[in-house]
Amino acid sequence: MRVGVVGVGCSKFGVRDVTLQEIAFEAVIEALKDANLSQEEIDLSVVGCVGTRSYELMPTVVINEYCGFSGKGPLGVEAACATGSAAVYTAYSSIKSGISDISIVIGVEKMTEVDTAVSAAIGGRAGNYLWEHHFYGTTFPAYYAMHATAHMARFGTTEKQMALVAVKAHRNAAKNPKAHFQKEITVEEVLSSKVIAYPLKLYDCSPISDGASAAVLASEKAVKDYGLDAVWFESIGFSSDTSNMTMRENFFSLRATRIAAEMAYKGAKISDPLRSFDFATVHDCFTIAEIIAYEDLGFCKKGKGGEFIEKGESDFGGKIPVNTFGGLKARGHPLAATGVAMVYEIVKQLREEAGKLQVDLKHYRALTHNIGGTGHFSWVFIFGR
Amino acid sequence: MIVESRELKLKNRIPVTRIAKYWEGLKEGKVFKTVCKCGMSYYPPKADCVCGNQTEWVEIVGEGIVESFTVVHSIPACFEWGGVYRIVIAKFEDVRVMGWSEEDVKIGERVSILTKKDASGIWKVWFEKR
Repeated sequence: MRVGVVGVGCSKFGVRDVTLQEIAFEAVIEALKDANLSQEEIDLSVVGCVGTRSYELMPTVVINEYCGFSGKGPLGVEAACATGSAAVYTAYSSIKSGISDISIVIGVEKMTEVDTAVSAAIGGRAGNYLWEHHFYGTTFPAYYAMHATAHMARFGTTEKQMALVAVKAHRNAAKNPKAHFQKEITVEEVLSSKVIAYPLKLYDCSPISDGASAAVLASEKAVKDYGLDAVWFESIGFSSDTSNMTMRENFFSLRATRIAAEMAYKGAKISDPLRSFDFATVHDCFTIAEIIAYEDLGFCKKGKGGEFIEKGESDFGGKIPVNTFGGLKARGHPLAATGVAMVYEIVKQLREEAGKLQVDLKHYRALTHNIGGTGHFSWVFIFGR
Repeated sequence: MIVESRELKLKNRIPVTRIAKYWEGLKEGKVFKTVCKCGMSYYPPKADCVCGNQTEWVEIVGEGIVESFTVVHSIPACFEWGGVYRIVIAKFEDVRVMGWSEEDVKIGERVSILTKKDASGIWKVWFEKR
C-alpha cells in the first residue's frame, strides 16, 4: 500500500507578528484546502515543534487545539532541525501500518520571541550541553564553522565557494513570495558581512525565522476513495550520530547523511542520483552544509562540493537544481517547519505549480535531505509522481 | 501588540557524582578519559560502558593534533562576560578533546593539553602550541 502527499501548505517565513498556533493554522488551512479535505477527514495529527524559543514550552496540544484537531491525536515530535522529517515519518508510519488512512503533519516554529544572544545560547545546546556549550560556549554557527575549517583545510574549499551558495539561495528566494529574504545579494556582500563564527559570516548563515508548514498524507485507498491527487513516497532513509561533536569520525562529512542516502537510494533502486532526480532540497542551514550535502548525497565526489557550486551544477539548468525555493539559507529555517517545507517544495515542483521557480521535469522524482543538529539526525525522502 | 511573558530563571543542578573525578582532575591540571576492559575509550568520560561494565579513569597526556577550530564572534548569552573566543578540537590517540586556545592554532598543528579557569571561574580544557 503506497502513501502519498495529497495537500501542502506553507506560511510566509520571516519575523512574524503572530503566535505559534496562529502561524501553524496558516499552513494547516492551506494544506486542507489544497487537499480539498476538512479536519473531519483527518484520523491523526502529528505536531513537530522544537519549541525552545517560543512562550509555550509544551506546545503540541495548544497548536493541535487551535487548528481544530482536538481528539485526533496529537503526536508530538522533536528531533532538533530534523523535527519536520521525523514528524512526516511518524504520519507516514501510521498510514503504512494501517492505523490511519489520512494524517496531517504540522511543522511549526516561532524563533523571534527571544533576542539573538539568547537564541544563540539555546541553539548552542543542540549538541551535548554539559560537555560542549557549558564549558566552551558552542553555538550553532560555531558547530558548522568547525566543519568549514576542516573542509577548507582538507580539500581547499574557499570562502568564495561558500558565498556562492548564499548568492544562489537569495536569487531563488527573491522569486519566492513566502521566503524570509526577498533580495538578491552578491559574493562581495557575503564576503564583507560580519563574522559570526570564523569562517562563517552573517550571509553564510540561515536567518532566525518564524514559520510553519503542513502536509496531508493519505493511503493509496484513501487517494482513490476521495479522488485525491498524490505525490508518492518512493523511499525513506534515516540515520543518526553522536551528540558530542568530539565523538565523530571526522568534521568534513556527515556520516548520518551518507547512511540515510544509501538507505533511501537502495529502497528506490537508485545508483546515479544525477540521472534519477529532477531537483533536490538539501539542508543548507549554513553555506558549508550545502557543499558537504552535495558530497554526502553523491552529487559529486568527496571534496568537490566547492567546484560543484562554482560550475553552477546545483543551479537551474545545472546537473541537479538544489533548493529551488531559496533553501534554509534564504527562505528561512524555522526548525520544525523546515522538513515539512521541503515536502511542500517537492509537491509544488512535481505538480508543476512552482511558477517562476519551476524546474523542467523529466524523471518526475526528487529528494529531500533534512539534518537535525550538526548531523545528529539525518533524513532522506524520495518522492515521485 | 506585544505582551511580555512572566520571567523564568532556568538554572539546573547537574548531578555529576559518578564522574566527579573529571572535575577534581581539572583543578589539578589533569584531563581524564574513561576506558573499559572491553577496549572502548570515552571522551567525554562516562561511568558506564555500553557493554555494561564500569569504566576506569585514564589521564590524557602527550601531544594532540588539531582537527578543527573556529573563533566565535557572535557571543551567546551566558558567555557575554568575555570577548571573542577560539574553540579547538584536537585528537589525542584514541579520543578527541574540545577546548579553548588563546593562540591562533591551525589544523594539523601539534598542541599540548592543560587546564585553567576561564574568566567566569570555570575550570576547563585549554590547548597550547607545542
